[in-house]
Order: sequence, then structure tokens, then C-alpha cells
Amino acid sequence: MVYFINDIITGALIGLLYSLVAMGFVVIYRASKVFNFAQGELVIIGGFIVWYTTMEVELSLWLSIPLSLVLAGIVGYLIERIFLTKLIGESVFSMVMVTVGLLILLRGVVLLLFGPAVRPFPIIFPLKPLFLGDMLIPMNLLIGGIITIVAAVGLSWFFNRTRSGLRMTAVAEDHVVASSMGISVKGSIAFAWVLGAILSTIGAMIFLSGKSLTFLASDIGFAALPVALFAGLESIGGLILAGVIIGIAQSLTTNYLDPLIGGSLGSVVPYIIMLAILLIRPTGLFGWRAIERV
Amino acid sequence: MTYKTRLGLRGLLAAGAIAVTTAMPFKAQAETTYNLALLSDFSGPYADIMPILAGGREAVFTWWNETRGKELGVRLNYKNYETRYDAAQVASLWPGIKSELDPIAVVGLGGPDVAALSERLPEDKIPMFMATAAYGYAWQSDAWIFNPRPTYSHESAGFLAWLKEKRGGDEPLKFAVMASEASPAYVDMAKGLELYAEENPEELDLVEVIYTEVQPTDLTTQMRRVARAGAEALIIQTNTSIVVAAKRGLQANGADIPIMMSSHNGLPASGGALGGLEQLEGDYEAYGMAVAADEDTPSRQFYETLVSDHGLDAPWNVVTAMGISQGLYTVAVIGHAIEENGAEGLTGEKVREALFAGPITTEETHGFLPTLTFTPEAPFPLKGLKVNVGTVKNGKISIEATGVDVPDVHKW
Repeated sequence: MVYFINDIITGALIGLLYSLVAMGFVVIYRASKVFNFAQGELVIIGGFIVWYTTMEVELSLWLSIPLSLVLAGIVGYLIERIFLTKLIGESVFSMVMVTVGLLILLRGVVLLLFGPAVRPFPIIFPLKPLFLGDMLIPMNLLIGGIITIVAAVGLSWFFNRTRSGLRMTAVAEDHVVASSMGISVKGSIAFAWVLGAILSTIGAMIFLSGKSLTFLASDIGFAALPVALFAGLESIGGLILAGVIIGIAQSLTTNYLDPLIGGSLGSVVPYIIMLAILLIRPTGLFGWRAIERV
Repeated sequence: MTYKTRLGLRGLLAAGAIAVTTAMPFKAQAETTYNLALLSDFSGPYADIMPILAGGREAVFTWWNETRGKELGVRLNYKNYETRYDAAQVASLWPGIKSELDPIAVVGLGGPDVAALSERLPEDKIPMFMATAAYGYAWQSDAWIFNPRPTYSHESAGFLAWLKEKRGGDEPLKFAVMASEASPAYVDMAKGLELYAEENPEELDLVEVIYTEVQPTDLTTQMRRVARAGAEALIIQTNTSIVVAAKRGLQANGADIPIMMSSHNGLPASGGALGGLEQLEGDYEAYGMAVAADEDTPSRQFYETLVSDHGLDAPWNVVTAMGISQGLYTVAVIGHAIEENGAEGLTGEKVREALFAGPITTEETHGFLPTLTFTPEAPFPLKGLKVNVGTVKNGKISIEATGVDVPDVHKW
């Protein structure tokens, strides 16, 4: 029974990591109505920045972490400025297609700059797990879970209670209308990309701490996708619940069903849950239901 | 000296010079030239190891041309083709390679080459020689693509048999396998060993096959399960990221279960990804090829010869060893074909026939490979299979066992 509870806790914490990466999707979507297919690539860009400042430049973690977050923010800003700013006012579809192009481009840039070699990622969180009786909780996931909840609460407050957050939501509704109301569309979208890149870098630190870094790490973007769609693309708070449900379902499947069937059902379960919820509620659990007058 | 004498001498010199210049082309013509197509990945996922692997195999061709080739009156020309480890790229390059080089053999790199050319090579009657271990799904008769090593499952079965003998006792050896559905090859590695364990319950007890992503999020709970089941070994022939995540999971559980890796994700690569070889103290790598350790072995001596006399510029590691061994068995087969058919008129078909005609001895490959006896039944030797086992001792790679017999693994 203890192990069963432990598997549930670990699953919930892995789910919270997916929620953090999914937060990048939601932040960009809420500000621009663009679904960023290159979210996983932002994670590896962040990961390589952390690796570079820590392992290559050999800065202490206290310096390299804030510096990496700043650099990641700059990368997010540059991506928006170079590739997306000119598309403001164009169809959302064109912007989404640009993010598909970005996915390929960023992967290529990483391979070109850093090569395909597997590198050791710095140990940011303690490797020694937390023991609670017979239960064992990985420290990176535990601290990551706390960071995710704090980030979700903070961002929910920002988007729902602050003028800047509400402006960003208005931008997502309609670029032209927001612009005519004096809201800086460019500024809002750029800020969303900066935030998305920073969240991805925090996600990379939790995901990769003490492990290895290659461009394969971008696959976490796809793991986070069901969480974002399950929660609904506008809900930051909903990501927590969606992440926990998906993480627990995945953990129980991996630990109890996979050994019986001799396969990897655990990696498919999040998508099954996502499809099931989308069939019942197409906007996701907490997504906005748009009412359109015809 | 009179004018006439000087003129006569000049005439003699001129005649001599003409004779020498005329004779030179004859000498070149006496050397028959054949072409090899080398499939390489200098800009794709294996770009980081390709220069080393290519260096190894090219140095062997240079060595062969300067030694054995000279005796036989044959020169092997080769040309690298960039495939980016992409099957579509290989398929599109192939017609051009054939018309440009008319090669007697292809020296392949990996899965995409096999996928793109497995249907073409039998038609074109050109054999392809690989460097890696083989796969169960490619275990078919009348092959034109050959591996010097048996399947990954054969190699891990050999290692487990050795580990059981080392442990002693009659109880079956408990082990777990890490696999991933991200690649058919990774599934194949696990399926073969799964069947072998099922057929040999007195030898092995497979506690679990754990499927995970190629970059796992966390394997702590999976490793606890493996430790609780009493596993005595963990087989990981997938990639280095899974080795790293599994090692971290084992460390978190305080479990000391030795991991066995293969050549492509072996001790140097996984140690590097973990931040130091010392983290893999007591873990193993096992494959049917020489272990690139510090010990003074025939393969190490041959490597040194290639470095000092034939321009090899690559470190002594498993990737270089893979390139050298690939080059060595390729030239050995070609050498056999020339001995059998003469230097003139060699074709890809004759090279393939020579592969089946007789064994390639371990002496011919300077100990890089065991004696290889190919038959038309499989793309790799089915008999006399051996693996070598390397480990980390005091932070250095050392040879733990050589010539370990591989048990009979049935087709799956």
C-alpha cells in the first residue's frame, strides 16, 4: 500500500512538471491565441543555456540560474521580434505555422551550435530523495512541484487581477480591437514569449537536474501537450489539476499495467485522457466557452 | 669528353627518361582498382562520432592498400557519401553512387542505410558491411547486408551467462531490461532477450522489461521495483540518456545493481553524460568486438600502427574500434575474394560469395573481432560467437573478460 501511495505521489509530481511546461503553452496562447508547437524546443534552448553558463562558463549556480533565466527571456523576445511580430493582424493559422517552422529551426540551431553529443546536466536540486518512512520522493520533482504551484498561483493572479494581464487577454481576443483601445499588441505578445521561454527554462532545470542533455529532451513538450489541452488552453490554475490527474494516471499505468502487458501503455494514457475529455468538452476542463452572436 | 660522346650520353639519358616515363603507366595499370562506397553521417545525429568512426575505417583501407593490396596488385578507392542518417537521403543518393563508383561493396553506418538499401542491394548484387550488432527483425536468409556482430540480444545473453558463472550457484540470474518503444530496434533488443529468458528458466529470471521514453523524466520508482525484485543486473542497450536516468534512480534507492551497456551507449559515452567515468564503477559494457581499454592487446597494437604509420588521427575508444573492425572485416572479405578469383574482374557478387566461402579469422582482424563464419542463413555469424566484457575499475575502463561464449539464441 505504501508503494502504491508513493507511486501516486511521484506521478502527481511528474504531472506538475508537465503542468509547468504546459504553462508556457498557455501563457503564449492567452496573449496571442497562438498554439506554440515549439514549446519543447524552448525547453532545450533553456536547458542548453543553463548547461552553458554552468558547465562551460563555470559560473556558480547562484549566478548561472538567474543569468540563464534572463538569457532565456532574451531568446524568447528575439524569437517573437524576428518571426512573429510581422504577422500581427494576420491569421492565427499563419502564426501557428511559424511555430511549426520554429520547431524545426530551433532543433537545427541546437544541433548546429552544440552538436548531438549527450552532455551531463548540472545538479541543480539535491540528488538524494526525501524519505518519508518507506516512501521515497525525488527532490527535483518535489521542489519542482512547489515551484509549479507558486508559478500557477502567481500567473493566475497576474492574468486575472492585474491591468497588464487583462490587457494581454484582450490582445488574445482580437488584435485590431485591442490595438484600437490603445493596448500595445506587440508588447503583450513579446512579453508572453519572454514569459514562455523563462517558464520553459525552469522546466528544463527541474526535468534535467543531474541527468543528461540532448535535443531529445524536447520530447517533454509533447508530454505536456495533453495537460494543456485537458486543462483548456486559457486556464493556468486548471493546469495543476490536469497535470496531477494525467501524472497519476500515467504513473499507475506505467507501474502496474505496463509490466503485465509488456508494453508502454503509460506513454499513451495521457493522450487517451486528453481525447476523452475533448470529446466531452472540446474546450478542455477549464477552457473558456466562447459565445458567438451570429 | 667530346661533343659526340656528350651527345651520345644525352641521348642515352633521354632514352632512359622516356623508358622510365613509359614504364610508369604500365606499373599503375598493373594495379587493379576497385571502389568502395562509404555511407557516413557528418551532419546528422551521429555527427559527433562520425569523424572518429570514418577515421578508423579509412585508416584500415590505407593500411590495406599499402600492405596486402600491394601484394595482391589491388588498390581500394573509397568515397564518403553524406547520408545525414536519413533513409530518404540514402535512397536518393544510391543511383548516383552506383553510376559514379560502381562499387564492389558498401560500407554502411546504421539503420537508415539498411532500410533504404535492403531491397536494392540484392538486385544490384552489391554487399553492404555494417559495424554494429544485428537486429532480430533483419534476421533473414540470403542477406546482402552483413553485421560482424550477432544481435544485441545475443550479446546481452552472452554477458548474462558470464555474469551467472562469475556469481556461481545454480539459481537463475535475476535481471531487468530497459527498453523504449521510441525505436523498433530498442523493442527488438528486449524481445530477443525476453524469449531467451523464457526458454532458459534455469539460467535466467527476467524480473521486468521497463519501457520508458528516450529521455526519461524519472526512473526512481521503476528502479525501486527492480531492486525489490532482487535483480542482479540491468541491461540497457538503448541510449545514454536512459542509462543516466536509470543510474540516478538506482542511486536514489541506494541500490547497487550493475548495468550492462552496449557499444553505442557504452561506458565512455554514458560516463561522459553522467559527469565522470567513476560514476559507473563496477558497471559493464559487453559486445562482440574488442574493448578499447588501456591493456596492451593485439587490437591496441594494431591501432598504434595505424596511428604511427598510416595517418590515423582518432583516440583509442569504442567508436574508433568500431570503425577499425568494420574496415578490417571488409578488407578481409575482399582479400579472400581476390585470392579466390584473381585480381581482375572482381564484382560485388564475388565478394559476397567469398564471405560465405571461408571464415574471417580473428588474426585477420587483429583481435578486433572473433573468428567470423558467415552462412547464407543469417546476416551475421551464427556459430562461434563471442563477446568481450569491459568494466570501470578505479575510474578507468579495463577488460573484465574476453572471448565469452554466446549461448544459442533462437530467432524471435
